[in-house]
Amino acid sequence: MKQKKPWWKQPGIQIAAVLVVLIVIGGIVGGIFLTQTPPEQPIAFPHDRHVGMGASCLYCHPGATLGPSAGLPGIEKCWGCHQQVQKQSPELTILAGFVERNEAIPWVPVAIQPEFVHFKHSPHLNAGLECSTCHGDLTKMTVAEPQKGQNMGWCLQCHKNTAPEQWTKLSDCATCHY
Amino acid sequence: MAEVSIAEKWGLVVDQDRCTGCNACVVACSMENNVPFTGEDNVAFGRGTYWIYNKRMWEGEYPRVAPAFQPVMCQQCGSAPCEPVCPTFAAVHSEEEQINLQVYIRCIGTRYCANNCPYHARQFNFQDPDIPEPMNSYLNPDVTVRSKGVMEKCTFCVQRIVGGRQTASAEDRPLRDGEVTPACVAACPSGALVFGDLSDPNSRVSQMAQNERQYKLMDELGTKPKVTYLKGGGRNGG
Amino acid sequence: MSDKITRRDFLKIAGAGAAVSAVLTGCGPMSRYIVRRPYTEMPEYNQTGLNTYYASTCRECAAGCGIIVRTKEGRAITIEGNPQHPLNRGRLCARGITAQQGLYNPDRVIGPIFQARGAAGRQAKTTWDETIPLVSDALKSPADQVAFLMGTAPDHLYDLVNELTTAIGAPAPLRYSALASFEGRTTLQEAANRTFGKPALPYFDLANAEVVFSFGANFLETWLSPVSYSAAYGDMRQARPTRRGYLVAFEPRQSLTGGNADEWIPIKPGSEGLVALALARLVAEARGEAPSAAARSVDPTAVAEAAGIEPAKLAELARLFASSEHSLAIPGGGAIGQHQGLAIAQAILQLNVVVNNLGMIGGVFLTTSEQPATTLTEVSNLVQKMNNSQVKVLFIHGTNPVFELPKVLGFAEALAKVPLVISFATFPDETAMFSDYILPDHSPLESFGYQRLLAAADRPVYSSIQPVVAPLYDTRATADVLLAAAAAAGKPLPYTDEVDFVQQKIVPLISAGGFYSAPEIQTFWSRWLQYGGWWVTEQGLDADISAASGSIAAFNDPAALEEDKQFYLVVYPTQLGDGAGANRPWLQEMPDPMTTLTWNTWVEINPETADKLGIHDDDVVRVTTPFGAVEASVYRYPAIRPDTIAIPFGQGHTALGRWAEGRGANPAALLPAAVNEAGDLAFSDVTASIALTGKRRPLARVENRGGVYGEH
Repeated sequence: MKQKKPWWKQPGIQIAAVLVVLIVIGGIVGGIFLTQTPPEQPIAFPHDRHVGMGASCLYCHPGATLGPSAGLPGIEKCWGCHQQVQKQSPELTILAGFVERNEAIPWVPVAIQPEFVHFKHSPHLNAGLECSTCHGDLTKMTVAEPQKGQNMGWCLQCHKNTAPEQWTKLSDCATCHY
Repeated sequence: MAEVSIAEKWGLVVDQDRCTGCNACVVACSMENNVPFTGEDNVAFGRGTYWIYNKRMWEGEYPRVAPAFQPVMCQQCGSAPCEPVCPTFAAVHSEEEQINLQVYIRCIGTRYCANNCPYHARQFNFQDPDIPEPMNSYLNPDVTVRSKGVMEKCTFCVQRIVGGRQTASAEDRPLRDGEVTPACVAACPSGALVFGDLSDPNSRVSQMAQNERQYKLMDELGTKPKVTYLKGGGRNGG
Repeated sequence: MSDKITRRDFLKIAGAGAAVSAVLTGCGPMSRYIVRRPYTEMPEYNQTGLNTYYASTCRECAAGCGIIVRTKEGRAITIEGNPQHPLNRGRLCARGITAQQGLYNPDRVIGPIFQARGAAGRQAKTTWDETIPLVSDALKSPADQVAFLMGTAPDHLYDLVNELTTAIGAPAPLRYSALASFEGRTTLQEAANRTFGKPALPYFDLANAEVVFSFGANFLETWLSPVSYSAAYGDMRQARPTRRGYLVAFEPRQSLTGGNADEWIPIKPGSEGLVALALARLVAEARGEAPSAAARSVDPTAVAEAAGIEPAKLAELARLFASSEHSLAIPGGGAIGQHQGLAIAQAILQLNVVVNNLGMIGGVFLTTSEQPATTLTEVSNLVQKMNNSQVKVLFIHGTNPVFELPKVLGFAEALAKVPLVISFATFPDETAMFSDYILPDHSPLESFGYQRLLAAADRPVYSSIQPVVAPLYDTRATADVLLAAAAAAGKPLPYTDEVDFVQQKIVPLISAGGFYSAPEIQTFWSRWLQYGGWWVTEQGLDADISAASGSIAAFNDPAALEEDKQFYLVVYPTQLGDGAGANRPWLQEMPDPMTTLTWNTWVEINPETADKLGIHDDDVVRVTTPFGAVEASVYRYPAIRPDTIAIPFGQGHTALGRWAEGRGANPAALLPAAVNEAGDLAFSDVTASIALTGKRRPLARVENRGGVYGEH
């Protein structure tokens, strides 16, 4: 009688195991790739140049002090300056196109939270945080880049370090998850 | 066992003498908190989702028969039976707000918490919400839309509490009494629901909770509920 | 040896792998690519993520509660009451709270439609450019052959159509809503005219009353203005430190109001007038005054017997009513929607005269409200004209007569004889399906306008309506359509559009002494929109009322029944209102307060009677009246007279979208076309018989948290 192979030597199981490993690895690699590379933007906006010239972040993202969302500038905001200054560049031609068609610029948000996290900008700015604490040094980026390792542990670490006296409130699940 | 002292924060008072049982609170809660409607079959299977429901109990025999209405929502127990049984720590206690939380992303749907809740306050999503376009436009972005397999329950409209807290802090002032109202309290046509801070002895809710008609639902279980009921004047056991 | 791993297992493993990658990739970055539609021109006051609030007026029923709509990025999110509004003071009922489910309903009419009536595959889209000339031609038809049939809301459109019909010489527009019928508004107004000498809707100061007798008035759920009366009810119970108000309800079927009453007196339908007169006599005698002639004509003991109360109980209640400082008697729709309804309403109002609470705290006042709705008599006359082919063009807005009117009136058949029917419905309701054109109006949350006939406001109020979101579809304000058409027809009205019309109408308010004023209309207009309307600061109603010598007709005894074969039939409205609420899924899912039933129609029957007849819960029965029959499941309802059955109104739609269609039964089939002396529908003195069908259909009850479908 042919001896029965142990279960881990059966080809079906082995194939399945290899597939699972491949899928998991693929998922991880894909996930890391997608979360850690800047998405393609309709206009390759040069943050470095604007910030370098001394433009305030809040000029284009004024919602940060007011409420949850910092907001992305619309054509009005961009064109407010650029119909006066520096009209010659390929990116500005794209902008001019949006303005001409009166279309919204389909910016792709970079720093976003999953839907079960209710992040709000205003309390953080009111607490005196700098934009660069979470968004990185924008003087060194053209398009905005996602920052590495921004998970819940990172949030809590910062909460613990910056305001240990408010730890009860800042570690409360209800502060971000509802 | 020594009495554990329970910190007080948010509390709700339900005046059953004012309550008419009209169910406006049920609908207001559902619209605020993205509670999905489930359809006739699901309701008949006992799978309707109501974060707050009106318990209607017939008392007496014809012709001296009358319903007693008791709106029941999560009692936000100080010593909550749902919390210790959750294997994934999805049902947790908020130290800051002194309410029970359900962290949807942790929930794996064991339903142990619902089994352990004496108030039937916890609701399970037996299916994904079926809200066709464009009706999903009214969904409240301040509240997560729960998917199938997740437990949910009344949160005292924690999104409004946190929002109110952050607004007050931005304006550098304490929260005013009555500034934060959950959707049910805001809607209640007869003014039967009062919400506020129990740690402030001068708040309206603290004052009302001292009323001689007060009682807590199944207080004998030691759950330390944050919801206080006021007995009805004529009926409802008054 | 690969037989150990089946295809199913493989799929499971692959699925798990896919789920893992979905978890890793899906939560964060992918939601980045959800289509976002930012404003190209962001309004200055609007900020992503922050709320923008608009004050407007609820149009789900005619009460006119002020609402505050919270919007985000141009979407209406939640609706709450307007805390400053004198009618509802920040409160709101289930109907108002779910109004977004009408706005964002997937079954709305999304543009003008032409439909060949009765033909298959009959709908075709059309354009506004094609339809305006059509409406204008229709307005040019012989004036007496043009008819307008409108709902009880909104008031501004009614005012506009009134001017339009005057300009073209057509008959004045009719207003009909089943809810107005069930409320008995016209009867109430006429009874006030005969009792107090002024044709105005009475206002009952419930909040300050100490002993309240309600005769079939379900003011906590549907009657006149449920939110403001609910608020007053709460105050009546608990706002006074000294005395808790006492409520007694006289009605054969315990409504929500009856359920909340301290005493529910299940009197025989048809005996309300007699009971009121007997009470008037006993109360007057207890106060040591001479009873009126009408009151003297009844014998309290005999009345108690005929109504099914113990005479001692009646005397006890009379003593209670007589001895209290603030007593109040309210005549409601269930009592006055009968053949003798007007006399019944007079008899009940007479009770207030006896205790002399007219114009007093906790008593009766008169509102400034005008004719709230036309009577069923006038609607019947219209149907008659339609049948006689005397109506060439019928315009319908804000009402659904095919569904709402008693079937025996034959509105649907008469509609077929009208050559041109133009509906302005937002939803493809039963009447719209029967019309030639549907020219959809904006939904109420996309419209301008006002409500001014607030039946339960304690002061003069104009409540403003403004759009809270941009119109979603290719709809157009009916006022604008009519103004454009009237101009094209050579009968221009002096208004450029709807907003201009509303502004011109509110110009007199600038100097009318409200809580704000302005130097000119534009400033006034911005405040009008900001506050949600205009009203005076001080509470003030016509307190100058006195009893007129209106005589009351003699009452017949209640109709006799063949025991256990015939039953009194009570048809009552629910949270679905006149039936238009049936396409709001949360109104369907909301348990009926008394029965906890959802999503269906039921027949309420006393358990004792049900046992005698061998009827169990959920048995489907056939209810038959001389006018028609419906089938529905039984709910054994402990709080109803053994000789009475009850059916809720509002379900049984054959159109109106996915959540309403094919659900339950429409008791309009059971109702007569008979009217009372004031011309209101006499719906509550109908007798019916019931028969088991042998079928069984479980009703979705919330009272049973384990479900009603058994093991599953």
